Amino acid sequence: MPKKGVNENELLHVAEIARLKLSDEEIKLFSKQIGDVIAWFDKLSEVDTKNVKPSMHPLENVNVAREDSVEECLDTKDVFANTNHKEKGFFKGPRIV
Amino acid sequence: MNALDFIKKAKKGEINLEDFYSKLFKKLYDIDKKYECFITICEEEAFNQLKNLPNGRLYGLPVSVKDALCTKDVRTTAGSRILSDYKPPFDSTVVARIKAEGGVIIGKTCMDEFGFGGFSTNCAFKVPKNPHDIERSCGGSSGGAGCITAVLDEPHIAIGESTGGSISSPASFCGVCGLTPTYGRVSRYGLIDYANSLDKIGPMAKTVREIALMLNVIAGFDEKDQTTLNENVPNYEKIDNIKGFVIGVPKEYFDGVSDVIAEKVWDAIKKLEDKGCKIKELSLKMTKYALPAYYVTATSEASTNLAKFCGMRYGLELPLEGNFNEYFSKVRAQGFGEEAKRRIILGTYARMSGYRSKYYLQALKVRTLVINDFKKAFKTCDLLAAPTMPVLAPRFDELEKLSPIENYMMDVLTVAPNLAGIPMLSIPCGSIDGLPAGLHLMADHLQEQKLINAGVALHG
Amino acid sequence: MAEPKVIIGLETHVQLNTKSKLFCGCPTIGLEKPNTRVCDVCLGLPGTKPRLNKAVLEKAIAVALALNCKINKLVPWNRKSYFYPDMCKNYQITQYDMPLAYDGYLMLDFEGKKKKIRIRRIHIEEDPAKLIHVGGDITKAEYVLVDYNRSGVPLIEIVTEPDIESPQEARAYLSKLVSILEHLGVYDITNYVLKSDANVNITGTERTEVKNISGIKAVVKALSYEVTRHKNMLRRGVKPMRETRHYNPKTGLTHALRTKETEEDYGYIVDPDLSWISISSELIKQIKASLPELPDERAKRFVKDYGLNQEQANALINDKALADFYEECVKEYGEPVTIAKWIVTELLKSFNYHGITLRESNVKVSEFLELFKLMDEKIITARMAKELVKAYVDTSKSPKTLVAEQGLRRISKTEELLGVVKKVIKENAEAVKDYKSGQEKALHFLVGQVMKETKGQAEPNKVREIIKKKLLKQL
Repeated sequence: MPKKGVNENELLHVAEIARLKLSDEEIKLFSKQIGDVIAWFDKLSEVDTKNVKPSMHPLENVNVAREDSVEECLDTKDVFANTNHKEKGFFKGPRIV
Repeated sequence: MNALDFIKKAKKGEINLEDFYSKLFKKLYDIDKKYECFITICEEEAFNQLKNLPNGRLYGLPVSVKDALCTKDVRTTAGSRILSDYKPPFDSTVVARIKAEGGVIIGKTCMDEFGFGGFSTNCAFKVPKNPHDIERSCGGSSGGAGCITAVLDEPHIAIGESTGGSISSPASFCGVCGLTPTYGRVSRYGLIDYANSLDKIGPMAKTVREIALMLNVIAGFDEKDQTTLNENVPNYEKIDNIKGFVIGVPKEYFDGVSDVIAEKVWDAIKKLEDKGCKIKELSLKMTKYALPAYYVTATSEASTNLAKFCGMRYGLELPLEGNFNEYFSKVRAQGFGEEAKRRIILGTYARMSGYRSKYYLQALKVRTLVINDFKKAFKTCDLLAAPTMPVLAPRFDELEKLSPIENYMMDVLTVAPNLAGIPMLSIPCGSIDGLPAGLHLMADHLQEQKLINAGVALHG
Repeated sequence: MAEPKVIIGLETHVQLNTKSKLFCGCPTIGLEKPNTRVCDVCLGLPGTKPRLNKAVLEKAIAVALALNCKINKLVPWNRKSYFYPDMCKNYQITQYDMPLAYDGYLMLDFEGKKKKIRIRRIHIEEDPAKLIHVGGDITKAEYVLVDYNRSGVPLIEIVTEPDIESPQEARAYLSKLVSILEHLGVYDITNYVLKSDANVNITGTERTEVKNISGIKAVVKALSYEVTRHKNMLRRGVKPMRETRHYNPKTGLTHALRTKETEEDYGYIVDPDLSWISISSELIKQIKASLPELPDERAKRFVKDYGLNQEQANALINDKALADFYEECVKEYGEPVTIAKWIVTELLKSFNYHGITLRESNVKVSEFLELFKLMDEKIITARMAKELVKAYVDTSKSPKTLVAEQGLRRISKTEELLGVVKKVIKENAEAVKDYKSGQEKALHFLVGQVMKETKGQAEPNKVREIIKKKLLKQL
């Protein structure tokens, strides 16, 4: 099977989707490594999976649901306990544009 | 003294818990200095627990918890810098059940960041050292749990977590017992996710009887985790003999295993035969595909789980500069370690449009075939037996030289049963030059009792 | 050149009125104080797991059945990954390649014709949090404030095929849809939000998607603006690009969103924290059997039981509150045909004039019925009643109050009317001549003039009688 690497542009595209800013060293390191691993993933294509259903879980488990009832909410103190980015009862986040 | 005797004595009031814990924590700090097994030691919280300790099945027992499990108001990092100061406002179900039975949480054990690794070297804070040789790894990702279980000469049970072998690997390398229950047997509520369709919480201890005790406490349906199985929980401490068990030995599980380990494992299998089991060699044909199928599935799920860490609400925060794309990318670049980034990229790639069918969906189909492989084996076998790890605990300097794929290959024996969600138990089966080898027993879904029965028969 | 054809498809997100959120026990409505209706799950804290609310599923299936959809037997939950500050996990739990339902339709009565709007799919998903842009609008803000109260409120997304051919038809579709949802009892327009993404183009142009438009009126405005914009561009020979636009409810205009820096790739996977939904034919049967009366059935009943014509019935059932109002009136007062006529012609006319619905008005059954009682008691004429409906809607003062305040009453005494009649005869010699030459129509005209002079207060029959007598010189 031909080895299919991952070029730098492709790596940067994936990193962008994943919101990861990679350093130059990481780009160098990962281009090769990710390419190798993906080529290894390609082994899966050897398996004939025609008419095979995918398994999302090891055991089938359907229709687990709860009744529609209101439960206690989290204390405001706990809501904001792990952040400094807060203002007037809101969380603060980065701007959109 | 083992945990069972200790609890009995503590219940009778024969142990002064205050004194016991004062001495214990001194010891824990010393151990941690040498072996680096804890991310957080919970001395103050433990003494707070002692003030009002429920007289339950774990009364007074020291319990350590892998740092991926949330503990209310106690730092929970999952081994990641991005959560280095995170204090959850709730207990994970497993921790809540342990506390409700009088177990005392002594600390949060070291792990690979988010469980990403087999040697606990990918932790943002510390790297646990193997108690048998501190130049060597404890295995991982529950390395801290394996380490403290082996090294602490006091009653104690550890809680580990396995996605692809993270309980079995440290159990084997550290020479202790580790049980990975059936997927869904134990609630994952409050477990910081690695890969949700694979993550399983399980006990680690010096003996199998202690494991049975802990499994009794933590197993069972949980309304807060809709993937838990609504199945009856037997009394795992009721041990039966294993006479007449058919033990399958999959031949693929000896490929590439060092001879000295294979020999020890066969010795253990012979012992099972001596106890009245029948041994049967068989083949699990999908074994070699289990590894890439596992890595595709695990990284796909992991890369979505890790999206939530972006410098809002909790976790690492930076000044709010730039737009959200810039800000999130910067926080994540600083907060995640190298292996986390690698797995995020792999997982994002495997589920991208254009690749989704080829990798993600194909892996789920291969997973079906792996499950079928095991299901077929368990039609004729009660248990499967194999080595847990193909090698003895590796030296840190050897690990540094491994490429990611070579590193992932180390999970070759544990990944398939994890992918199939079947329960498995690793128990020590002798040592080679002072380093322990592990026997891996696997059973059909929900057949933890068979593992425990065989484990007690071999190891106690 | 022929008028270009307008092609519209709508994706409408409806907040379901369950007590608790889709995947946690926080209330869907209640305290408006930010971040008070939140918990570990809807804040996306690490380690938490979603817990499906059974009621959402049942309500969504009811909607699917009411919209004549096929229902998938086995439905997984998916994670749709994208980063945005209103997302608590940076993925949304939704249904992707196997939606809850597909291939349905909604029947419209539009401009006197039956029109079928095909429904492509219906799926369930979670609502994101609410953002406030601080220091300017979305393009100029310094940072955002986030309120997670809305995070995790259950939504159903209803996607049509591009079958809608005008903004007005879009209005008719959305009104009918809301009426169906309200009849099902799954949506409550006063407390829950309905938002649409509208895809629009005209023959010869590329599709534009206008995102996130709240309510019904705004959709009509946004679409009207877009249709004009597309036509103008086509006329100028510019082809609109395929793009996503944002609707500004303050100006009624749409704006292009600056092209996103990152092209999102949602990377759908199955959400491994949830079990699959298996929908049995028994469950479908059970839900079907318990479906309440839907608008079309209700319209049929109005025709059959109350003797209304189809247009009146359609006008009433298009708004559940109005249909309920009608039936309450009938229950109190009887006279179903008269009441329908007054609601459909007079009351709706006033509502439409103000661009409101019954809910947004202060009209109450008891007050509205005062009109009929005032007419019965011969205190007011029908003509006065029409004016009173307008005044009632305008001022929210009940008809009785208005009559008392303005001293309104019917005039039927000859001595009171005679003066006006004399004046009208004098000023309309032509009509008088016509009447005398045998044209009955001229009499109507003269009566009308008297009515006008008396601001409708005159009793028309009495006026007719007086005019006749006067012209025959009997008075």
